[in-house]
Amino acid sequence: MAGATPGAQSAGRSPGPPEPPNERPPFLLDFFPLEDATQTRLSRFFDELRLGRLMTTRCPKDQSLSWPPRVVCPSCHSEEMEWVELPKGGSVYAFSAVLAGAPLGMESEVPFVVGLVDLDGVPLRLFGRIVGKSWEACRLGMSVAAEPFELPDGRVFYRFRTEP
Amino acid sequence: MSERREVALVGGATTRFGLRAATWPELAQEAGAALFRAIPALQSAEVDSLFVGAAEPERFAFQSHVAPLAAEQMGLTPRRILQRTELACASGQSAIRSAYAAIASGLSDIAVAVGVEKMNLPSMAEANTSMACVMDRPWDGAHGATAPPFFAMVAQRHMHEHGTTAEQMAAVSAKNHRFANTNPNAQFHEKVFSKEKLLRLPLVAPPLRLGDCSSMTDGAAAVLLTAAEFAGRYTDTPAWIRGSGQYSDFHNLANAGSLTEWAGMRRAAEEAFRSARITVNDLDLAELHDCFSISEIVEYEALGLCPKGAGGAFAADGSSDLGGKIVVNPRGGLLGCGHPLGATGVAQAVEVFDQFAHRVPPARQVPDPNWALVHNLSGSANVHSMMVYQRGG
Repeated sequence: MAGATPGAQSAGRSPGPPEPPNERPPFLLDFFPLEDATQTRLSRFFDELRLGRLMTTRCPKDQSLSWPPRVVCPSCHSEEMEWVELPKGGSVYAFSAVLAGAPLGMESEVPFVVGLVDLDGVPLRLFGRIVGKSWEACRLGMSVAAEPFELPDGRVFYRFRTEP
Repeated sequence: MSERREVALVGGATTRFGLRAATWPELAQEAGAALFRAIPALQSAEVDSLFVGAAEPERFAFQSHVAPLAAEQMGLTPRRILQRTELACASGQSAIRSAYAAIASGLSDIAVAVGVEKMNLPSMAEANTSMACVMDRPWDGAHGATAPPFFAMVAQRHMHEHGTTAEQMAAVSAKNHRFANTNPNAQFHEKVFSKEKLLRLPLVAPPLRLGDCSSMTDGAAAVLLTAAEFAGRYTDTPAWIRGSGQYSDFHNLANAGSLTEWAGMRRAAEEAFRSARITVNDLDLAELHDCFSISEIVEYEALGLCPKGAGGAFAADGSSDLGGKIVVNPRGGLLGCGHPLGATGVAQAVEVFDQFAHRVPPARQVPDPNWALVHNLSGSANVHSMMVYQRGG
């Protein structure tokens, strides 16, 4: 799907899961961040994510980690935030699944699992989509790992995958 | 605190809540008509200020600048303060809090707080999309976070840590639906939801079933607030605002901390009780934000009505029902009345006034109530807003 021509028609249903539409939805119905450097000061997060690295910002003064990444430290208001790579592995603190009432563009993904994941070795608990197991097979405390995935318009985002 | 004026809530009314064949402006008109019917002495020219609670009119009704719109619909021409308040699910209480602040400070004498929300759209997927931008949209909403999966995780942790059961959650919903049957304006008026029936409804976000969740609702509500010297014009039974508290300590879900211990609600309650100079044991009734059945259970605990972890049993043994330690959500709650975001907090205050005035049907009348609490959470329980009322007259 990378490099799909903007405005191209969706390929329609093939065997297996339905294809998401190729067009980017109107901004006010688009959940995903605007990622490039003309829109955000945090574009490095997405550049690194594309290379497989999950990053966030840390304040060099008090060493506190933030999530999501920020441009100003919430404690000391320093604007000198530095980028650090996060561990990708973690364990599930809580999860549920969306079986009904999904937002626009996500209806075809129902049922899907979401959860809060305690990253290994750092005091951060990230929320995200969990793929790899049905919600019935998911368990509290199970191991997952963060991974990037590409959106139909070429942007990149992260999710968690269960360990086999 | 510097000197401030006493503020009375002197009456109010709600429209019918539900899946309404009515637009946002039409709901505002209905709320205005209901308010003037409920307070026959009220002249529109007396209202100097209007506060309009509305969570997402830009998305649900494609309409901004709703404060003057609401004023026109209600036939009001405010000359001191006109503003909209937005705090997602607590937008209505926010309107009342702003009116309270304006009157207490002397900037306003007689103010209306109205809450309006139109949520049912031809495309419910679009409506659900709007609900997901209450969360931190690009970081949480983008994963598919709407309210049900978040509160489902609260329920999952509460079950895991404290042994809370689906039956206990159904007890909350059954109680609130039973009360809603006494409320002709409730979305689920004349619909029977026994515990057994609730436990058979489909899962929405496990472990939450349909009956554990409040619904997408259209509705509006309005109240009149005045400085003490004007209260007697409108009622013999004012509800005095004696205290308030509010707390917020996170927005992104990563920063929520424990899902089962709502520390922010404890902080808001401490401030509300401190400012009202009462304790939780003084309360006769509470309108708590039961957006989900599990919410009411965690709220009992955060308020100190029962020990941590005992909220499920508190619901199941009738402690929050008529005849119990406190009556919670006699109006029917968000579960039974529906949850038009901007209107909910205002409708809860209407119930407090009507309870104090003994104007509600006997099947939900709290015997001789003197103190009441109204609580709203908003978003992912990351803001807690509370007001304490005392019966006057």
